Amino acid sequence: MWTTVREAARATGYLVVVAAMTFALYLFITVLLITAVGTVAVVGAWMLPETVLVIRRIAGAKRKMVAAWTGRRIPEAYRAVEGTLRERLRTAVRDPGTLVDLRWMVASYVYGALLALALPLWPLGLVVDGVGCGLLRRRAVVLPLITRLADTEARWSTALLMPSPQARLTARVEELKETRADAIAAHGAELRRIERDLHDGAQARLVALSMRIGLAKRAYDRDPEGARKLLDDAQDQAEQALTELRHVVRGIHPPILTDRGLAGAVRALGASSGLAVTVDGGEVEEGGVRAPAAVEAAAYFVVAEALTNAAKHSGSPIAEVRLARTRRGLAVRVRDDGRGGADESGDGSGLLGMRRRVAALDGVFHVTSPVGGPTVIEVELPCVW
Amino acid sequence: MRVVIAEDNALLREGLVLLLTSAGHEVAAVVGTGPEILPALLEHRPEVAVLDVRMPPGFRDEGLRAALEARREIPGLPVLVLSQYVEESYAAELLAGGSSGVGYLLKDRVGRVDEFLDALERVAGGGTALDPEVVTELLTRRRDTPLDSLTPREREVLALMAEGHDNATIAKTLVVTERAVHKHIGNVFLKLGLPVSDSGHRRVLAVLAYLAHAAR
Repeated sequence: MWTTVREAARATGYLVVVAAMTFALYLFITVLLITAVGTVAVVGAWMLPETVLVIRRIAGAKRKMVAAWTGRRIPEAYRAVEGTLRERLRTAVRDPGTLVDLRWMVASYVYGALLALALPLWPLGLVVDGVGCGLLRRRAVVLPLITRLADTEARWSTALLMPSPQARLTARVEELKETRADAIAAHGAELRRIERDLHDGAQARLVALSMRIGLAKRAYDRDPEGARKLLDDAQDQAEQALTELRHVVRGIHPPILTDRGLAGAVRALGASSGLAVTVDGGEVEEGGVRAPAAVEAAAYFVVAEALTNAAKHSGSPIAEVRLARTRRGLAVRVRDDGRGGADESGDGSGLLGMRRRVAALDGVFHVTSPVGGPTVIEVELPCVW
Repeated sequence: MRVVIAEDNALLREGLVLLLTSAGHEVAAVVGTGPEILPALLEHRPEVAVLDVRMPPGFRDEGLRAALEARREIPGLPVLVLSQYVEESYAAELLAGGSSGVGYLLKDRVGRVDEFLDALERVAGGGTALDPEVVTELLTRRRDTPLDSLTPREREVLALMAEGHDNATIAKTLVVTERAVHKHIGNVFLKLGLPVSDSGHRRVLAVLAYLAHAAR
């Protein structure tokens, strides 16, 4: 009984919010009609795209609400409203998403009021079911109706708000276009960085080294002591050139990934981070499954950056890294115990670099870092294992 | 000689200064960014300028552009341009800007100290010093040219000539007599249809002009 009551109460809460929203919609649609009239009069033309954006937000809120009730996400598929007024107008009017939203709005305009039914069902339900369950040991009949009502509403809304497969495909193509452009840009930036590193680092060192040897050869006969010193210098240069090459190579594809796999490589990162890092490798442990090289390299990069940040800024003595194989791919989670407040807009944090690298692989990047901590960085990189 | 150096990498800057002073040259000024080059050259009027191609602030071809501009401002100023990679079109731009006193070498060559100092002196004296890599690129760039009719030996002579070497050096490098070199050069000019001229850099320029043209 109590479960039924609680469930019915939850459904009522849902329905009340829905009803409130429907009422707000009555007002909004009135405003919408006025806008439509205004648009005909041209004066209001600029308002149309703005109105569509507002509609999207309302529909977005509704999608979230329904998803919270059913536990199933309703995807969104809109075209970006941007550019000149003419372009924005065209997108606003032609986007199939607009039609979907309007269809839902009009429909809920019609059936929204029915939801108020939930309220009279309550006293009735309490009496009938109270007697039925409490005294006659029968199953509740009226209160579950409220839940059914909420379910029905959610089902209708889901159907109405679901973008057409074509619109979803279009949205997906847009998204892929963007991430691909990002990937190419990230790749280009990466190549330039590597070129710069080689040019200013190892290459310059080798030239300097060659110069020292040349000078030493010249000095060899008349000034053996000077020649010896020049050769010492040359050896230093050679060693530093090697160090720099190692550094560049590590930036391209960390060799330890090849040797030890992701979990082992992440442990090595932890050991050299200066923090007490616990690593949970899950299925990614050595000898287990391996993600594609690009995914492992990106994951490694994220963990390296995150641990560097944690050691530098968080003030936390510990950090925790969790790697997991998910249905979509590889999940990485790095958590410290510090003061939080990591800010993506500051370029010093490397968060932007991480986001780009993850986005380039069509992954999801998420940071939570409230002031006072802790900072948690979560990444999911899609891949086939 | 009085030399002005433009090089942004501290390591190489220091190396060049060490190398030039140890060879008895005077380093009048050392600059580390592109915009500083021209004022330094105008102020010190060196006998030769050693310039890096890629310099701050843009890290592109600031040094090369400064070299071209300096040669417009100070006609005949010998410039030796150094770079970590050579680009044939840069060589063409440098050579198009003026007749003599142009050098364009890979930084790698600096390690062969004696050869580098030779090249520097050649440039300071109004000659040419072109990196073998540029010359190779120029020579191999196109098929179906009269270059194909040259014998291997003639091609070697042409390459060395294009790098800026005189007959004596070419003879020594190839271990032949100067007379033989002279004969090869005559054949090369004949086959390429170039006006015969024996005087130093004019000959080099004729060759380079031909190669640059053929490369297009």
